[in-house]
Amino acid sequence: MVPIDVIAHIFDRLLPGAAVTVQLTVLSAILAFFLSFLGGFGRLSKFRIIRFVSAFLVEFFRGTSLLVQLFWLYFALPLLGLELPTGLVGILALGINYGAYGSEVVRSAILSIPQGQTEAGIALNMTPGQRMRLIILPQAFRTMLPSFGNLLIELLKGTALVSLITIPDMTFEAKSMRTNAEEYTLQIFGILLILYFIIGYPLSLLTRWAERRFSVGRS
Amino acid sequence: MSAEETQTATLEKEEETQGTEKKEEALPIVRYRKVSKSFGENQVLKEVDFDLMPGERVAIIGPSGSGKTTLARLLMTLEKPTSGTIEVDGRQLWHKEVKGKLVEANEKHLHEVRGDIGMVFQHFNLFPHMTILRNLTEAPVKVLGLSKEEARERAMGMLEKVGLTDKAKAYPANLSGGQQQRVAIARALVMRPKVMLFDEPTSALDPETVGEVLDVIKEIAAEGEMAMMLITHEMSFARDVSDRVAFFDEGCIQEQGPPSKLFVQPESERLQSFLSRFNLGEENSQ
Repeated sequence: MVPIDVIAHIFDRLLPGAAVTVQLTVLSAILAFFLSFLGGFGRLSKFRIIRFVSAFLVEFFRGTSLLVQLFWLYFALPLLGLELPTGLVGILALGINYGAYGSEVVRSAILSIPQGQTEAGIALNMTPGQRMRLIILPQAFRTMLPSFGNLLIELLKGTALVSLITIPDMTFEAKSMRTNAEEYTLQIFGILLILYFIIGYPLSLLTRWAERRFSVGRS
Repeated sequence: MSAEETQTATLEKEEETQGTEKKEEALPIVRYRKVSKSFGENQVLKEVDFDLMPGERVAIIGPSGSGKTTLARLLMTLEKPTSGTIEVDGRQLWHKEVKGKLVEANEKHLHEVRGDIGMVFQHFNLFPHMTILRNLTEAPVKVLGLSKEEARERAMGMLEKVGLTDKAKAYPANLSGGQQQRVAIARALVMRPKVMLFDEPTSALDPETVGEVLDVIKEIAAEGEMAMMLITHEMSFARDVSDRVAFFDEGCIQEQGPPSKLFVQPESERLQSFLSRFNLGEENSQ
């Protein structure tokens, strides 16, 4: 069987990559979260032009491959004279891509709140901003959570793609380790899977906790 | 043109208010003038003229789809009239005057005028993510600018009035329909509107909880400070609580008058046939 020190060695080599994966996940999730709301509100704007532009951008980034977007930012943008740090390229591509998905979650959650809630807000003479902030969003946010949780885990798994633009994440480290030790391919990728799960599972738990936290008073 | 309009307006005002000092009291708090509303092809209100005096309690009855609810929704600014004007306490609701001309009101103007109006909905529309107390304090704090303590005090006083102080910390989902509607009434009352609209407040309730809600409304009506517009299918309630009853059918007021007259000697055939569907004597004996 595989000696324990080989396993330990693989872990050791993959851990710095795991740190990069976590960093990428957190930073692009923050960007995606922000863009989700921007896009979601944009698509519900009362101004037609804002609705149109938001819809176009959302459909464009949802409808094109994340990998191609990464390549585009990494290989094509420099040809146009704009060279971004590799890490930033990864965060931007992931954030924009998942933000596009997230904006649909925001939009549909807001639309799912019954009209009667808005009307009650009007009857209490709340301004449109107050209605959104105090009445609609707190309720819609709870509806968004399960979908946001799914997207967050999707995003974590999506970070593996950045290894293709030389960001030294977990997957990148695993591949480069394998080049020098092909006989351990099984162990390396096995441990890689386990590491993804170790990072991903707490995200599921976090989502479930947040769902409970925001469900007070609901039957 | 605009000078002419102003003159006519002044003349009208003088006609309606013979006195000079006491005219404030004599003016209607709400005044619908030639108000029409269509949803697509379907005209639900046809040039309705309707006045509500301060403190007056008017029951609005009529078959479903006769435009009763729309009448209230226009006043609450939930729906926009297709034509005509509505005045609240002497101010245009859906229009505002810019350089002597009436133009369409913006959100800011609506916000200023509709503070006088409160509404209780058929389906309560409580905020499910807030406690009962928070349902009652949110708008007083955020809209009226009351301090949290003031709002709490006002809210608790109102919960006492509707008999639900023990539910202050509960969430709407834990309350029965009747209790939720009483909370909704309290929530509208803490804003101290001059006009309260009740849009079929018991239609969505289980029969056994209808009474408790009607009792609360009767109690408020007895205080006699607010003008009330009660859209209802509860005829004996309408008779007991109102100063005036207006019968709506096909988008118009067909007949109106004091309940003692309207329910006893309805003039129009339509009202007669409408009332024949309710057995008032039997309802009363309950």
